[in-house]
Amino acid sequence: MELKVYGHRASQPSRAIMIFCKANNIEFEEVTIDLSKGQHKSPEYKEINPMGQVPAIIHGELQLFESHAILTYLASAFPGVADHWYPTDLVKRAKIHSVLDWHHSNLRRGSAPYIFNARLAPVFGLPLNPQAAAEAEKILISSLSTIESFWLQDSGTFLLGGNQPSIADLSLVCEIMQLELLDENERNRFLGPYKKVQQWIENTKNAINPQFDEMHGALYQLSAKMGKQ
Amino acid sequence: MMKLKVYADRMSQPSRAVIIFCKVNGIDFEEVRIDVSKRQQLSPEFKEINPMGKVPAIVDGRFKLFESHAILIYLACVFPGVADHWYPADLFKRVKIQSVLDWHHSNLRRGAATYVFNTTLAPASGLPLNPQAAAEAEKVLSSSLSKIESFWLKGSGRFLLGGNQPTIADLSLVCEIMQLEVLDEYDRSRIIAPYKKVQQWIEDTRQATRPHFDEVHKILFKAKARLQKQRSVGENIETQSSFKTTLTSKM
Repeated sequence: MELKVYGHRASQPSRAIMIFCKANNIEFEEVTIDLSKGQHKSPEYKEINPMGQVPAIIHGELQLFESHAILTYLASAFPGVADHWYPTDLVKRAKIHSVLDWHHSNLRRGSAPYIFNARLAPVFGLPLNPQAAAEAEKILISSLSTIESFWLQDSGTFLLGGNQPSIADLSLVCEIMQLELLDENERNRFLGPYKKVQQWIENTKNAINPQFDEMHGALYQLSAKMGKQ
Repeated sequence: MMKLKVYADRMSQPSRAVIIFCKVNGIDFEEVRIDVSKRQQLSPEFKEINPMGKVPAIVDGRFKLFESHAILIYLACVFPGVADHWYPADLFKRVKIQSVLDWHHSNLRRGAATYVFNTTLAPASGLPLNPQAAAEAEKVLSSSLSKIESFWLKGSGRFLLGGNQPTIADLSLVCEIMQLEVLDEYDRSRIIAPYKKVQQWIEDTRQATRPHFDEVHKILFKAKARLQKQRSVGENIETQSSFKTTLTSKM
């Protein structure tokens, strides 16, 4: 049964899905939806995901969107996936759900609008919005601080005191990687104070390489192109 | 064995969802009231339970958990008496429920809670109303209701995702929409009127979880009555003290 992943490598949650598949030897067909050309709003794509957002998957009769739901589906449906990604232990699993839920209204809500309104909007033909960027920046900084002091507080190498990565590490680190679209000074301004966060990003990359770096190639290219403008 | 503790404020939409879920499923628990209007969620004692300072949160034995969707999923899996329809074992159904719960954060929750706060409830927390934030939130709220009407309620069943019985997603989203009850009646009707399926679904969810749904929503309806009286006698609701004082003492 064929798995199709609709997404774009410049999209944080799309990368999380595709890296997860590659790291777990899950075969899939990558269908690129070009956001800068508005393909996510086309009638054809809205048949796949009426919300007009990436990522989305089709697997047999299942059509699914929302990256966290997709990650839990893939971790559960494919037998080769190691337990640490989405443990069967209910307590560990519940904690993973809680950080994935927290992510929506915190890291995601700060990071994505900040980068869009401070840097990325022109790629979509839209103006920058310094006021929206300023509001998002507060949420981003507060979220990084919470990851440093709470989600990484235990002695483990990953979120929630884990010694191996879970889908939560993959989702949140892919979000933070989007800061690569900012110039280096700005990126250091955000990440500099948070030593545990920096180490955790490295740990996650190391645990999932070479797939992690390979999937982020498009992001680095986009960053270089924007840097030249 | 230690009883499950649920830290909640019944004025909080996700708190109500967790409490109703426990009652409907006969889950034995102790409800610990955390009064958000008195800022109790920011106390050092409560921050031991949930460092984010938000309700709801649970303690099950030594295990602490926050985020209502994570709590609902955990309770549905760990308590054997919970009927399958709440969070089915079937993987396809389960992940679809997760997708609407995920969608909820940035859509219905974001629109509804922000709109209600900035038009009505902010003074109860000592904050000013914010018409601009309310106007932006209303767009998100209306768009979300529209998506529920046209997509999430598209199937042949009475509940989200075409189901014939409620899931944790129905409970979570309906409790969110119930918060609109505290709005000025004209506003509330204006916002919800276009969505017939949504209105029916709210009623179906209420019926499927009675009498607990109504019982747990009592405090919200008391707040609604208080606010309606204040509006009808033209009181200024921007002062915290007038919001909290009962009307009989002023008459």
